Amino acid sequence: MKVLVVGGGISGLFVAYELVRRGVKDVTVVEENYPGSGATLRNAACFRSSFTSPEHVLLMKESIKRWFELKDEFGFELYQKGYLWVARREETLDTFRKLVEFHNKYGIPTRVLSVDEVKEIQPNINSKIITGAMFDPTAGKMKILENFTRLYLRVKGLGVKVHPYTKALKLVARGGKIVAAETNRGSLEADVFVVAAAEKSKDILGTVGVDVPIEPVPRHPLVTEPYSDVIKPALIVDWDTPGAPYITQTAHGTLYMARDIADTPGAPIYSTRLDVMSKTTKPLSEILPFLRHVYILRYWMGYYDMTPDHHPIYGPVEPYENLYIAAGFSGHGMMMAPITGVLIADWILSGKPSIEIANNLKLERFKTGRLVKEIAVIG
Amino acid sequence: MGGEKRTVIICRCNDVTLEELKKAIEMGIDDFELLRRYLRLGFGPCQGRSCIMIAARYFARATGKSISDVLANFHVRPPILPVPSRAVVVRGEGW
Repeated sequence: MKVLVVGGGISGLFVAYELVRRGVKDVTVVEENYPGSGATLRNAACFRSSFTSPEHVLLMKESIKRWFELKDEFGFELYQKGYLWVARREETLDTFRKLVEFHNKYGIPTRVLSVDEVKEIQPNINSKIITGAMFDPTAGKMKILENFTRLYLRVKGLGVKVHPYTKALKLVARGGKIVAAETNRGSLEADVFVVAAAEKSKDILGTVGVDVPIEPVPRHPLVTEPYSDVIKPALIVDWDTPGAPYITQTAHGTLYMARDIADTPGAPIYSTRLDVMSKTTKPLSEILPFLRHVYILRYWMGYYDMTPDHHPIYGPVEPYENLYIAAGFSGHGMMMAPITGVLIADWILSGKPSIEIANNLKLERFKTGRLVKEIAVIG
Repeated sequence: MGGEKRTVIICRCNDVTLEELKKAIEMGIDDFELLRRYLRLGFGPCQGRSCIMIAARYFARATGKSISDVLANFHVRPPILPVPSRAVVVRGEGW
């Protein structure tokens, strides 16, 4: 069996890895830019399973498990230090209690913290303006730049052919099957095609008449100079400020901050907005006053590949019998990538996913109207 | 001074040595943008003013690529110089 994966980001490479592991000999990945050039190497490098839909919770739990299972084989660096959602209002604690009840039902040990308990975790937090927090001790952060590089080297070592700077321009369909992908460097034939190209999946699948509702929504993270270990949990979220600003400290020491700020979907990747610096830093410096004394080093853009229900699109793409999609992760593709690989390999090799709930995430849900609900999309 | 093992630092922001650069290329990192991310070249306060040309030239030689191909995807990010956060916090949300 010959498989062609369109998209050399973390999802595409994990799909390639799982296929090779299960005995598929001929796997090729095409990537229009350098490997990992999309959201893979632009994100906050954090992971959690404390979501608000059973689909996300169950799949992300398995994904985190898989990250740790593969830790030694790949040399991944992972730090399970927890997520802290900080509340400024009393009412928010009621929301947290409901979320905790939901998470606990699925075996995720989140809990609501008092202000004193928050201070035990993050001593220099401004306790005057917060009312408490929600904490997920199973969430964490990782060294994404190194981890992705290790994944890239590993799949190449296993014989996967990765072609960077190779843009898939269109798919060619014949008799209910996809037979080839035309790229800027020639045509590639295969038995099975997987599209894992984030928002660009829409353009590629559009060439064979498949409508994929994904919108690239700009995000604007920034980092400071490196500092010693000042952010104790993996991530702190300022829940009650619109756009939920958050901060995480990379393993290298830089403080990574971002906030959901309204922007034009599809805005070019170098449409710089200097206003995000104050919009992001200001609310976070109220909660963590030392942030008034740091230096902002760099700012860049990336996209959330948003679907209407903020959940990924997984699995077979009708009406073609050999076409699959893994895209539309809406801001969670990196943390979800190991399980993405497992599920897509399941579908290709045994016709169904090993985790049943993944069936709810097929593309057909946008036709049947059976969308998934998620209320806690952060940053 | 000048002992057996000479440490050549190519990036002074992140203390990256020539040895680390060589090792990363030997490991099989065959793309300069990925190499930069793996070693954090150009990710420090100077944004690559000294390391990028050294690393690009070395990488070009090791892989047989041209310098212009190697640097085709290199972008400096704003702000060019580190900005004190109090400048943006005090100024507020207007800019």
